[in-house]
Amino acid sequence: MIGITVSLAMLVIVGVASRKAGFSLVWYDEVAAILLAWLTYYGAALAALRHAHLGLPNLVQAAPPRARRALLVARETVVIGFFSLTAWMGWKLLAALGGTFLVSLPWLPAGVVYSAVPVGAVLFVICELCAMPERWSGEAAE
Amino acid sequence: MTVLWVLLGLLALIFANVPIAVALGCASVAAMVLESGLRDLPNVPLTLFDGAVKFSLIAVPLFILAGAVMNACGISRRLIALTSALIGFVRGGLAMVTIGTSLFFAEISGSAVADVAALGSVLIPSMKRKGYSKEFAAAVCSSASTLAIIIPPSIPMILYAVMSGASVVEMFVAGIIPGVLGGLLLMVVAYRMAVNRGFPADTAFAWQRVRRTFRDAAWALLLPVIILGGIFSGWVTATEGAGLAVLAATVIGAGVYRELDWGALRRAIVEGAIQTAVVMLLVSTSALLGEYLTAAQVPQKFAAQLLSFTDSQWAVLLLLNFFFLAIGLFLHSAAAIILVVPIVMPLVQQAGIDPVHFGLVLALNLGIGQQTPPVASVLLTACSIAKAQVWDVSRVNVAFIGVLLAVLLLVTYVPAVPMVLVDAFFR
Repeated sequence: MIGITVSLAMLVIVGVASRKAGFSLVWYDEVAAILLAWLTYYGAALAALRHAHLGLPNLVQAAPPRARRALLVARETVVIGFFSLTAWMGWKLLAALGGTFLVSLPWLPAGVVYSAVPVGAVLFVICELCAMPERWSGEAAE
Repeated sequence: MTVLWVLLGLLALIFANVPIAVALGCASVAAMVLESGLRDLPNVPLTLFDGAVKFSLIAVPLFILAGAVMNACGISRRLIALTSALIGFVRGGLAMVTIGTSLFFAEISGSAVADVAALGSVLIPSMKRKGYSKEFAAAVCSSASTLAIIIPPSIPMILYAVMSGASVVEMFVAGIIPGVLGGLLLMVVAYRMAVNRGFPADTAFAWQRVRRTFRDAAWALLLPVIILGGIFSGWVTATEGAGLAVLAATVIGAGVYRELDWGALRRAIVEGAIQTAVVMLLVSTSALLGEYLTAAQVPQKFAAQLLSFTDSQWAVLLLLNFFFLAIGLFLHSAAAIILVVPIVMPLVQQAGIDPVHFGLVLALNLGIGQQTPPVASVLLTACSIAKAQVWDVSRVNVAFIGVLLAVLLLVTYVPAVPMVLVDAFFR
């Protein structure tokens, strides 16, 4: 995380500096945007571990304990289902991309770029599973 | 018909406490399967990835990073010292200092929650020591930090600009007058309350102290000049300005002040990365839903429906104000922007409302939303620092929310307030 954030900052700074110095790095904004996407998918998994994703817990909190636990199960099924589907489709995409390279950046394999989605999705599922006991006991305790 | 089911399903998932980003993704995938079977499913990861590849949004993690660096190297502390030397002598001095520093601070950092955490952790304890009630301390800190949403740079404004296609720079410029006005009005109200409650002044005014703290904070004061000067003059884009902010804060912190708390910085970077990822995941899954809604022409139909009742700009703005105030009660500002802006934008455009003007109205609405429980990220942060109860703080906060509402009405119905600088320099 720190690595991606700091390289993002440095890349933008170098990009501006080189443009001002008269030689624009044509690839800098594209690589920076790809880094942002990586930050999104790897960070999202970490956020799942830390219960940081934005939601609307108020209604569920008002429900009786039994219903709360049932809703938690439903919630986890939906979340894990969605990211499993994304991961599966993502692997298929990677297989389809095979050995192709980005049109604008011929040295960058497309598979590496897009790998963030399936890898991030798998990580998300793992993090969600790791965070589940804590959520369950949270619902059971109140 | 599918549209209705998809939107109902989305609401049901959100109500069941499924993360909003995931709810958006599920609803859109379901819609896709209902409309065209399994054929389009392989496009899901592509759309998700491309939804996150947005150069202008790089400004979000970078402004958060800049704020983290500033906190780690004592820039906030120096700003507080200077403001205290300048306005701490009036009654309720520390409340004035809180509002004044928030105004400064908002010009460098992009997020209100970051501001309230940074300033509140210093100022709320000092206010309590001086005999202010903890409820007042939390309320003034929380409301003042909300100004960060409308004073450039602002992360909600960047998000709005990306979702609506408005110019980030124009959004930033439009925020200046309402932001300063809001700050001054908050000070007036805080002064009245301080007089009524007998809160003391902070310290006597002394030129010597002003000179000393100014010398100490001079470099920190350069930061907004560099960042905003660079962005407003068109020398750099908003994203590049954010990069510049990180660079300048690091140079000033590590080079000039020579104090950088690495441990705190590391934690703040990870925290910032998570915040960014949470917002960005929303942006990318909303790209999925966006594709579907656009294909089904939902926003256009919604606009046509509403405009068949009334075509007055003012009525539309009034309706939207009520709508957003209600949404702000329950949704975090970033989630609200990402969910709602794509749907209401055609309406705003067809009613002839300037997207920049509307963006500012929206930002203020959501800023007020952060002050109104149950979902009120800024207020809750302030309360947890002050160790005060949310409802007790809210009772004091009503006066400050009143000020913010007054600014909202002014910005909504006197478009010149936000737009005069934009018109003068960019149109």
